[in-house]
Amino acid sequence: MQTTSHFRMKAGGLSATVLLGVALPFMSVVVFQAVFVLTVSAADELHVRIDRQIVAAAKGEPVASSANDATFVRRIFLDLAGRVPSWQEATQFLASREADKRVKLINDLLARPDYARRMQDLFNAMLLERRGENAEWMRFLHVSFETNKPWDQLVREVLHPDPNHETTRGAAFFHTKRLDKTGQQETDYPGLTRDVGRLFLGMDLQCAQCHNHLFIDPYKQHDFQGLFAVYQNTFIRSDVTFPAIGEKVMTKKLDFMSVFDKLPLATGPRVPGGKEIEIVQFEKGQEFFVPPDRSKNFLGTPKFSPLEALANELPVSSNRAFVDNIVNRLWFVMLGHGLVTPLDQHHVGNPSSHPELMEELGREFVAHGLDLKWMIRELALTEAYQRSSEVPADGNIPPLATYRIANVKRLSAEQIMASVLVATGGRDHSPTIVPAVATATTSVAEQTPEAKKVEPTKTEKLRMAFVKSLANAPQDPEIEFAPSLQSSLFMLNDAAVLDVLTPQANNLIDRLLNQPDTAAIADELYLCVLTRTPTSAERAVVASHLAKHADRRSAAITNLAWSLLASTEFCINH
Amino acid sequence: MNRNPLCKPEEHQLSRRDWLGGIAGATAAGTLGLSGLPLLAEDLKQQQKQVLFVWLDGGISQLESWDPKPNTEFGGPFRSIPTSVPGTHLSELLPQTARQTQHLAIVRSLCTQDNAHSSGVERIQRGDPKNRGVVYPYFGSAVTKLLGPNDSGLPPYVWIKPMSGGFMYKDAGFLGPKYGALAFGDGQPPENLLRHSSVTAADLIERSELRAAADAEFAKRQRPGPTEANGFVYDMGLELMKRMDLFDRTAFSARDVVRYGTHDLGRHLLQARRMLEAGVRFVKVNSYGWDSHGDCFNGSLSLVSKFDQAFAAIIEDLATAGMLDNVLVIAMSEFGRTPRVNGHLGRDHWPEAWSLVMAGCGVQRGVVVGKTSENGTYVTTEGYDIGHMFHTWFRALGIDPVKTEYNNQGQPLPIAHEDCHAVLELLA
Repeated sequence: MQTTSHFRMKAGGLSATVLLGVALPFMSVVVFQAVFVLTVSAADELHVRIDRQIVAAAKGEPVASSANDATFVRRIFLDLAGRVPSWQEATQFLASREADKRVKLINDLLARPDYARRMQDLFNAMLLERRGENAEWMRFLHVSFETNKPWDQLVREVLHPDPNHETTRGAAFFHTKRLDKTGQQETDYPGLTRDVGRLFLGMDLQCAQCHNHLFIDPYKQHDFQGLFAVYQNTFIRSDVTFPAIGEKVMTKKLDFMSVFDKLPLATGPRVPGGKEIEIVQFEKGQEFFVPPDRSKNFLGTPKFSPLEALANELPVSSNRAFVDNIVNRLWFVMLGHGLVTPLDQHHVGNPSSHPELMEELGREFVAHGLDLKWMIRELALTEAYQRSSEVPADGNIPPLATYRIANVKRLSAEQIMASVLVATGGRDHSPTIVPAVATATTSVAEQTPEAKKVEPTKTEKLRMAFVKSLANAPQDPEIEFAPSLQSSLFMLNDAAVLDVLTPQANNLIDRLLNQPDTAAIADELYLCVLTRTPTSAERAVVASHLAKHADRRSAAITNLAWSLLASTEFCINH
Repeated sequence: MNRNPLCKPEEHQLSRRDWLGGIAGATAAGTLGLSGLPLLAEDLKQQQKQVLFVWLDGGISQLESWDPKPNTEFGGPFRSIPTSVPGTHLSELLPQTARQTQHLAIVRSLCTQDNAHSSGVERIQRGDPKNRGVVYPYFGSAVTKLLGPNDSGLPPYVWIKPMSGGFMYKDAGFLGPKYGALAFGDGQPPENLLRHSSVTAADLIERSELRAAADAEFAKRQRPGPTEANGFVYDMGLELMKRMDLFDRTAFSARDVVRYGTHDLGRHLLQARRMLEAGVRFVKVNSYGWDSHGDCFNGSLSLVSKFDQAFAAIIEDLATAGMLDNVLVIAMSEFGRTPRVNGHLGRDHWPEAWSLVMAGCGVQRGVVVGKTSENGTYVTTEGYDIGHMFHTWFRALGIDPVKTEYNNQGQPLPIAHEDCHAVLELLA
């Protein structure tokens, strides 16, 4: 680590940073107004070191200044609370004169219930890739983020779900949804194997199914087959109503051969890049912890569980691929572009854009006990995160991977839906969008008997409509902003969307209709929908529009509001 | 979007071309080696090319259509009739089509690999390439990708089918969902295409103009990709909303309705004609119920006659309008039917020797290619797999199926089975 101090000018006010320690992330920095920044590298907080590396990698090319407060408050609410701020929340933040108000807001948002809800939606989309939802799965995610479960523990619970543990057993949905048969298709064991590699190791081993990868040297057929050995041995348990997977008794290695040289090979269960796990043999009749019970359609719990062995070996701090994968995904979530892109193509031929930074992030993440909230907070505190996304006046747009301007981010269907409700609701509208323990399911078959009785709430129905129209198709990762004909027709014509633009007591349209002053209309509209004040040109557009359509003022106001909800500025996190 | 890890980050930025047609045109151009070059005359010609793909699901009997064997062991009860091409005979169930045969290229020597519907449909429509562990696109998705967008502003890959519609993303395989089909169930418009009663036509225009103006302002300060993408899908939505006539059955002339037939296939092919006229790149029309394991002859009498009426009508219309020069027409199933008649007077699945028909863009006119044995059991000339047809169709559309490759995240993939080749006799 560096031990030298250095001096650096800062854009807006000048401050000095003095470090007290790294072990207490919330307490470790005291900021003084002063003439320069004094950074003692060895003890700097991670976010300071991140910025130093990003700036160093920019090699003197200019970086954008910090985004203004209005942009920041919108951005951070979307990222940490999953929605835009309400009029009241935005106004309060913008009015604050506190020097450290951004840090305070970040801390505040991370402590709110909205955070767990946002993470639940984010990780549901990331890990299930819109294959469907299940109430127990959602509850597992929610509790995990509410309690800020360390990432290794969370993944261990996913990889080897405990059917006897009520709040974590839903984790099995990650597997069961993928083991589901659709139509006459074979159970897609290779697909499940591939997804474990993609989503937890950042490795898409698909090509290594049939042969060593042709272009990616470290992706070996053994890597795919070692994981596949575990998954081709699994099945969906049909003796219980909640998502649960079972394993058959494994007695021998999995045979395979390369399509190229046709030599017979075999492997036991194995974490990619790890050692083969020895298959533990038991005498006939002694294989089970819990023997099968045919009367209950229960197929038994074998003593040797490859899933358990995998769960013990894969999600561990010493597994570099496991750590890098989640660090890269969190970075992508916050900074809008992966240090490694695509997110599931991490290998020597496709290295990180900032290799040292990647390593440092991984090291620190491990040092902090794989604490997701801590990492997200550090990323939110970076100047890189807080930069403006506006392109330089000279028209030279920096590449995404330089982070010299902030990258815009796709909003999920859930973020847009919640934001539409906040933007069009009351001034202090900050709903918990859906009850924390979601009753959402896409298939009646997946519902627990109790859940079947519950009619989805109006908000929940709205959420499902947004997901149907705005989310990607199943199995398609949501990476870029990808509007579709379906989404535009939804915003243009769907009754559920148009309904939020009908006047109801104190909602946005109601307030605008009752506001005689044209300038105030523009201000209210822009603050509620776009979280900013309108430019003078935009005020003029509103004024002339209302003047032109004075005879149909209500429609004119509604049309203005609709146009901002449908605008790109509203539909992305910029 | 191209997710090739080997390309530069800048190439991942959204561009206008990425969103034209709702598809990644830039990627297509890159794959075709056109990137960065000015549009050549050849490209302009490519702009105009379209496909009509008629899918007779379940398997039309070749013996009751394109390859009749009257008075033979397995020939069945129907006679054959002469056509507009001297020497070429078709089943008597195709009297209208017999008058349009001068436009057609008939292939009688298909010999394919799969006799199950569940896998066969996909296998044929995906071109049955060598297994590389990836799911290949259907022909419609492939053409959409490889030809790129045209300037119609309409969805590039439209599927008119009985029953339900929706966004059929699975057609696209590894190309990604945006190359999937937009299906109009029973020819009905997609969800939310109708303007809501609470919004007037004037409101709609006003809203769209305000949105476009807001996006134009935003684009001045931001990377251009997202606003272009957003603008594109709204333009396409509004364009399609304006084209409600594409779904309006009352707008067809009474004469056309009678000519095409009032049955599903007739209505759907008539609607397909309108979609092609409007500029949709690829129109697929499905007809179901062709799996005649029982009572094949009465079944064919009914089904083939309906097909004959509608198919002959659209071929005639496309030819009259001069559209056959640009529109490649294909009519086929996942396999043919057994020459041997089973105990239920039906014919079963027969991929060993069967027929399809094509016409139009790049296709030789008035030819028959390939022969089957006397009793129709086997192909006696070179047998063609679906891979040969993919090669031929791509060539007909001006796409070189040997040089052109897909780029699946760095993995180069042939667009058609590399062990097959184009059938030159079929090409103009």
